[in-house]
Amino acid sequence: MMAADMSPGLFVASHSVRLVLRERTVALLCGMFAVLVLISAWLGWSATATVNRIYIDAAAFLKAAGQPVPSNPVLDVSPLSLMRNMSVYVALIGALSAIVIGNRLISLDRKAGVLPLIGVRPLSQNAYAGGKIAALVWLILTLGLVAGCVAVATFLMLPAVTLTAAQWGQLTGFMALSMLYMGIFGLAGLAAGAWARSETVGLLLPVTLWLTLTFIFPQLTANLSPTAAINPVSALMNPPDTVFFHWAAQILGPVSLADAYKFAAAGLLDYLPPGTASPSAIPPIATLILAAAGATVLAWRALTGLTMTTGDYDV
Amino acid sequence: MSDPIISMTKLTQVFDGVTAVDALSIEIGRGEVFGFLGHNGAGKTTTIQMLTTLARPVSGTARVAGHDIRTNPLSVRRSIGYVPENVRLYDTLTATENLVFFARLSGVNTPHTRVAEVLDLLDCTYLAHKRVGGFSKGMRQRVGLAQAILHRPAVLFLDEPTSGLDPMGIKLLRDLIGRLNGEFGITIFMNTHLLSEIAKTCTSIAVLSHGKLVYHDRIDAVTARYGDDAALEELYLSLTPIGRLAEIA
Repeated sequence: MMAADMSPGLFVASHSVRLVLRERTVALLCGMFAVLVLISAWLGWSATATVNRIYIDAAAFLKAAGQPVPSNPVLDVSPLSLMRNMSVYVALIGALSAIVIGNRLISLDRKAGVLPLIGVRPLSQNAYAGGKIAALVWLILTLGLVAGCVAVATFLMLPAVTLTAAQWGQLTGFMALSMLYMGIFGLAGLAAGAWARSETVGLLLPVTLWLTLTFIFPQLTANLSPTAAINPVSALMNPPDTVFFHWAAQILGPVSLADAYKFAAAGLLDYLPPGTASPSAIPPIATLILAAAGATVLAWRALTGLTMTTGDYDV
Repeated sequence: MSDPIISMTKLTQVFDGVTAVDALSIEIGRGEVFGFLGHNGAGKTTTIQMLTTLARPVSGTARVAGHDIRTNPLSVRRSIGYVPENVRLYDTLTATENLVFFARLSGVNTPHTRVAEVLDLLDCTYLAHKRVGGFSKGMRQRVGLAQAILHRPAVLFLDEPTSGLDPMGIKLLRDLIGRLNGEFGITIFMNTHLLSEIAKTCTSIAVLSHGKLVYHDRIDAVTARYGDDAALEELYLSLTPIGRLAEIA
């Protein structure tokens, strides 16, 4: 695209993406996310392929012995559930990567001290804020697409598994859900990075939020065992039938984002046990959409309220 | 003044109840090199921040290159360049990468060509592909000046441009300011502490003390009246708090 045709907001976006991609911390976290997604896909693929191989051998043996051949266990479960571990990595390393990306998108400008030089250019602060949010969306989409490609490649490589059109749709929905979830944390990182006076606080605030939502709230809303945050199956357990957990789930459920994400992901990846109800008072998808809208408003306000005269961190 | 390019009308700024700039009214003609003097905290930088639309005045207004800073800030920004006291750039990028980004934001159609032109104009082509992180103060100041003139502004705001420069750096910068003003007709608005530079560079000066304008005249009138740098210093000190303290003593 010619320079003159591109809006200043898009220049801010493309420039910010380039700057962030040069950051070692970002590259490390995103690389780690991609590797973990690959490992989770490989584990799913390997387990399924092993069971399938054993089944083929056993079926041949049973057939030769004139015994009845049972159905292939690989085909008894939805192939999408092979990707269940991916939801854990999205909630853990994916969300953390998004926070760092969001933070770096604004902290690199603030640390460099270039805000006054940007502030005297013919672009409004709205265009600047829009550019930063567009850059975040672009980076989260890239992260999500990497994970999506790994998932698609895994399914294409499994000989015994074929996805129906509806299942491909569900997988696409899961990837979109994961990007939305990471986007919420990216926006939180962006908002805190723009709002905080110190760079450390700008990073610590969203990380604390992430820790609370990922490791503390689920203990109260979905009765997770201490290792639940890294175990997708236990996220689906109902809370114990006590008054405390009932109220905790009702009150904290609507803001328990990690639970909402894992619940919605379980539905999309077909590993939600039949009849399992969300402990929250509002649907998990609605929780995530509301959280994304809230985070967008916060990030927008923080970015448009940024003081352009200095903008540098105090510490 | 018949054709002022900068015209301030009761421009006022207040921070936490303290008046930083108090009803400032000055007109600066097209093509002038204007020296804005004042003690630390007098309100010089605050004035520049308002004129460059980085900060909004609490009352009063100003027109820069024919555009109102309150109602038409984007048009003001298209007409100005700004070099802050401490030029800060993306240290991890090269001079060219930094400048191309600012050129694009300023709407320059062929940013790479223009950046090469400006670096050549400022005699710093050798810095083009070096990372800014390793630059000296003088080098940064030059790249800072380059980013301010990429879009051929009508007015250039310089905030303490000689701060921290060695005598050679000061001379080089003075020559550059002279060229930008003489060859390209850019009006220069310069905050400075260096009285010796005023007589060599400026065509008019104003002195600000505690946010109030206490003196404004053409430099030829000043030099005719006060003669040399020493007399200029005497004038400056008589208008600033230190001068008044000396008077009391």
